[in-house]
Amino acid sequence: MNHSPSPISIRQAFGNAILKLAKTDKHLYVVDADLKSSLFLNKFAKKYPRRFIECGVAESNAAGVAAGLAKSGKTVFLTSFACFSPAINWAVIKQSICYNHANVKIIGSHAGLMSADLGATHQMLEDVALMRALPNMQVFAPLDAVETEKIITVAARSPLPCYVRLVRPATQTICDPKLPFTIGKSHLLTTGKDVTVVGYGPVLLNTLEVKGFKLEIINCSSVKPLDSETIIKSVKKTGRLLCLEDHQKNGGLGEAVASLLLSSSINCRFAHLAVDNRFGRSAQNYHELYEHYHLDLSSINFALHQLMESSHARS
Amino acid sequence: MFAKLQAPKLPDISRQLRLDLLDLIYRSGGHIGGSLSCLDLLVALYFSPVFEFPPDYFTLSAGHLCPALYVVLAKRGLFHSDLLKTYSSFSSPLQGHVSTDVPGVSYSSGSLGQGLSFAAGLALGNPGSQSLCLTTDGEHQEGQVWEAAMFASKYRLGNLINIVDYNHYQIDGSTDDIMPLGRLAAKYVQFGWTVTTVDGHNFNQINKALRQARESTYPTCLIAKTIFGKGISFMQYDYHYHDVKSLPDRLYSLAKQELTTDFP
Repeated sequence: MNHSPSPISIRQAFGNAILKLAKTDKHLYVVDADLKSSLFLNKFAKKYPRRFIECGVAESNAAGVAAGLAKSGKTVFLTSFACFSPAINWAVIKQSICYNHANVKIIGSHAGLMSADLGATHQMLEDVALMRALPNMQVFAPLDAVETEKIITVAARSPLPCYVRLVRPATQTICDPKLPFTIGKSHLLTTGKDVTVVGYGPVLLNTLEVKGFKLEIINCSSVKPLDSETIIKSVKKTGRLLCLEDHQKNGGLGEAVASLLLSSSINCRFAHLAVDNRFGRSAQNYHELYEHYHLDLSSINFALHQLMESSHARS
Repeated sequence: MFAKLQAPKLPDISRQLRLDLLDLIYRSGGHIGGSLSCLDLLVALYFSPVFEFPPDYFTLSAGHLCPALYVVLAKRGLFHSDLLKTYSSFSSPLQGHVSTDVPGVSYSSGSLGQGLSFAAGLALGNPGSQSLCLTTDGEHQEGQVWEAAMFASKYRLGNLINIVDYNHYQIDGSTDDIMPLGRLAAKYVQFGWTVTTVDGHNFNQINKALRQARESTYPTCLIAKTIFGKGISFMQYDYHYHDVKSLPDRLYSLAKQELTTDFP
């Protein structure tokens, strides 16, 4: 594990990746809704003004324009905060993008409680649920800046639309730049026999700090399609599963994994740490919120203890 | 294969297609009122010499008007007219709201207010082509239409034409009762568009306006004043004919008689 001492933010990595891709892909367009600074797109907008389409604070139209551009053969990234896109424009994403097979890459930044000070309206906790539900839609959530660049590169080349969930703060980078990101494949961050941990995004980094348990941590950055094979194999081994996500329980990865395991007739102990049917709130840093909503290290340790104490694991 | 037809023949085509529409609705039910009001606009788009056939890009934003588009596309030879008999039935590509599964359809719709944004995206991505969109007056109650209107003006999409089927009715009543649009033409002018208002059942006016729109360097809104249920007296101006589940034999015969009376 190679922890970077000077973290760069996931959204910054996104801006860098777009700039890099635009050099070789002359048909790459960014359709933005007045958030280019927040998504580190200033350089792209300056360098490629014709390919930077500013739609203003109008996410529904932006999604429709993106769909029309994609149908014109362009590689289109639709950029905004997750709380606006895919939240405000969901029906447009359903009809104009998914149903019409328009290959748009939807970038939802500032997702989750990590947008700490902004409060409930901006802490998007339902985006994975909204996007998982749509036919033709893929859902990716990078763990760190390194994986972000890989995901954006793969997304640009994918023939299907996708949603990429980004977060605001600078976080640790641990992913190996040489390991490829493959749609539908997860990565084991650690191997272990006690508990399988699945999750996506930087909240999963908390589990790397756990001591005293042999965890098998699976980075499910491809939330949809899900890497069923890896998850099933791991849970068969450990008999215990902890799912962790900076998102509502309802409609999140935990439900996807629970459904997968039940329909595969796999018996295991299951814990789901996620926001439980509540709104977010402001805090000066997201660690306070992770503590409040039980996504922090001590909540993880508590959940792991409960899983380990269970008598009927590995039945 | 797709020979250009002269304008004088367009009314004849329309008369025939109204009968086809009636048959389609009699068999399967569907959105008849708006289909009858927009039919002449579609006939102008698909049969007049103003645009090459097939048109570069045509977006039917109001997907429920698909019966009109389906009979037009069948007449244009994009699929066999027998397929019309399968409209809205299981395994038919002719969905109850327009779908790209149908040959000649480039945008699937049904949720109102989205098409103009899509058409604007096509116009932006294909500056050498014309992007045509058909919306309705009621549809302009959706805020996204106005987002698209601002956008088209900002990017000065001279190759975008929004044809508004202004028939004054929507599912639950008249547009004026449900939510008045105010001065639609003035609004589009204020948004920076070129605006023309025509009689939506007069082919000379429609074609002239389309020619002008084609040459415009600003996005053009072509407001077509139409008659809801056009051609069938008891359907005209009666919003209950927005969507018909079934048409009694007696009314079907009456409608057919009216549509064939002055048929040459």
